[in-house]
Amino acid sequence: MFENPEISADELPRVSTVHWLGMDRQFLRFLLVQAALGVIFVSIGIGVLQQIFNIAFAEEDIHLKLGMLWFLIPVIAAPTFIWPLISVPRKGYAVRAKDIMYKSGVFWHTVTAIPFNRIQHVEKSSTPLERRFQLATLQLFTAGGSGGDLKIHGLSADNAEKLRFFILNKVGASVEQH
Amino acid sequence: MSNTKDDGWQRTSPLATIFYLGRIYQAIAKNAVQSLAPLVAFLFASEGNLMGRIALGATLFFLVTIVGAILRYLFFRYRITDDSVLIREGVFKKTQLDIKFDRVQAINTQQSIIFRAFGLITIMLDTAGSKKQEGHIPAVKMALASTLKEHIRQTTQVKSSLGGALHKGDGGEIHVDAPRQLLLLRAADMVRIGLSSNRALIFLVFLGPIIEQFDNRIEEEIGASIVEGIGDGSIVAALDTAQPGIDIGTGSVVMIVLGVLLILVATSIIGAFLRYHRFRLVTDNNVLRSTGGLLTRHEHSINLAKIQTVVASQNVMLRLCQHFRLRVNQASSDRTRSSKSFIIPVCEPDQLPVLCQEFFGEEFLDAVLDPGAEQFLPIARHYFRSRVLLTGVLPAVLVTAIMANLAGFFALLFLLWIPLNACIIWRLYKCYGVLLARDGIVLRRGFLGYRVTAFLHRKVQRISLTQTVPQRRKGLATLRFYLASGTVKIPYVEFEKACELRDHVLYRIESSQKAWH
Repeated sequence: MFENPEISADELPRVSTVHWLGMDRQFLRFLLVQAALGVIFVSIGIGVLQQIFNIAFAEEDIHLKLGMLWFLIPVIAAPTFIWPLISVPRKGYAVRAKDIMYKSGVFWHTVTAIPFNRIQHVEKSSTPLERRFQLATLQLFTAGGSGGDLKIHGLSADNAEKLRFFILNKVGASVEQH
Repeated sequence: MSNTKDDGWQRTSPLATIFYLGRIYQAIAKNAVQSLAPLVAFLFASEGNLMGRIALGATLFFLVTIVGAILRYLFFRYRITDDSVLIREGVFKKTQLDIKFDRVQAINTQQSIIFRAFGLITIMLDTAGSKKQEGHIPAVKMALASTLKEHIRQTTQVKSSLGGALHKGDGGEIHVDAPRQLLLLRAADMVRIGLSSNRALIFLVFLGPIIEQFDNRIEEEIGASIVEGIGDGSIVAALDTAQPGIDIGTGSVVMIVLGVLLILVATSIIGAFLRYHRFRLVTDNNVLRSTGGLLTRHEHSINLAKIQTVVASQNVMLRLCQHFRLRVNQASSDRTRSSKSFIIPVCEPDQLPVLCQEFFGEEFLDAVLDPGAEQFLPIARHYFRSRVLLTGVLPAVLVTAIMANLAGFFALLFLLWIPLNACIIWRLYKCYGVLLARDGIVLRRGFLGYRVTAFLHRKVQRISLTQTVPQRRKGLATLRFYLASGTVKIPYVEFEKACELRDHVLYRIESSQKAWH
């Protein structure tokens, strides 16, 4: 027989007391490599653009100061390299018996909680670069949302698979009455 | 009128062509308004044998749409099995739609004046999926709609009785309550609906080309008068001639604008009569059903268990009339959100508690939809300060500083934005109100009008708690409740209270044995 005894507000399980798990160690390296690749691509782009302009306007007396674009590199590179160092330690997730929580944000601290009995489906994905670092992203979908309602980046591929399996089991186990 | 084939697939009545014609025109109107508007403006402004071109274009347009509608009718098939409705349609792009009875949220029907003459009806199967996943069976006998409804009701009852949620008598028999009338709208209500409708504003789009025409006419009048005056060698005469031209032109524009505004109001009221004439709301075995319409009778229904949020709104006109508009939302994706609502176009304040009781039953007895209720608690006062700073002081000071060189002393006028903005934010702040109950939450917000949103804790899909830097300093947080019908945000709540509320709602979701849908 189903029982649902009343409990007081003090007895309610508190999110503030949960033990947060950090992202995988490789995640920071992955983000830094991703940032480095981004900077390299932008540098190549500027270099190619400069060459094209040099060839195209070689016979004309037009001097475009494309060299100024190189100053953009440190402007773009500095935040893309520094940001992961600040944001990654602030990300974390916690799995409880009946829900999963995810925290993120440097200026805007956000804690999102999704009960397992509201999850519609779970998706695990990984880009080639993520696979190189043995990382994966887990997306949890609930009803009414237009995209992945909760994206957890930076999980180790093993953990992501275990988590996906665990959540799917929990989703399947929840039975509600209509 | 429907033809059955040996394999069980059925065709609808040939009159379904009218339905498809309507759908084609609806699609054209929806997607082509932006492209048709300049075309109409061009036709007004262009010269030459315009009528001939219009006639040819219109004939071709109608022929193509009629052929399209006939083809869509010919390629439409449906079949009803023990547990689902199967629909096959599409001329070039084939669509196979299988709708299980237990996925159907509601069966809505529509009966146009032509269909009424032939005893036909259009059935619309409303599901929780995207709009594309909704089934339409046009021009079928009314008996089919009744059979389908009964089928689905039985399916739901079997599920409910398995779950033990249905009331059973001492002998184990299932109680089926007789339909109960909750609301009946009268002619005066149609006027209220018409006056409070926002749709009338759409007609303003057509004002553009008309005003432009008159503008050109006035310019021509003045130009001609001046040329005439110069020809006579007298500028004074030209000005004398031009003056009445300006007066007549301005007077005409004012008259036209007034006329258009009156037409807007009249159209809006006529629209209300067409859509909601003899609007009747009944509750029938956990299903809320509304019927209404002058030429086309609309029947909408929603299962009470599938309600996600209830919104009671009051715009300026409704506030003046002291009436409310209710929108009952069910699960939907982002794209179909607006079309998934069950609308009660107008109701009186004393009907709110009765309807609220119907929507939430005994599960949420504390729910109130009246924005004037005393139970609402204000949000933290820091909302006002931070909003004024962010949206008032900061932009005003920045713009003043930037414009100081260009406009000089007049740049200070931009600072007037600060008190104006403060008044707006103060009003927004005063409108905010939260009612936290054991099983649900009611949020009140607004500016000139009000919007009160109520929902049960167990309907929440996920919760997020956000703190900005100033909020962290002041010990505040913003809570967002994500429901299958949209998001409800409660800003500037004390952090401790927000955490408590989140934990409580999570507990209610996780311990509830009732389904959210």
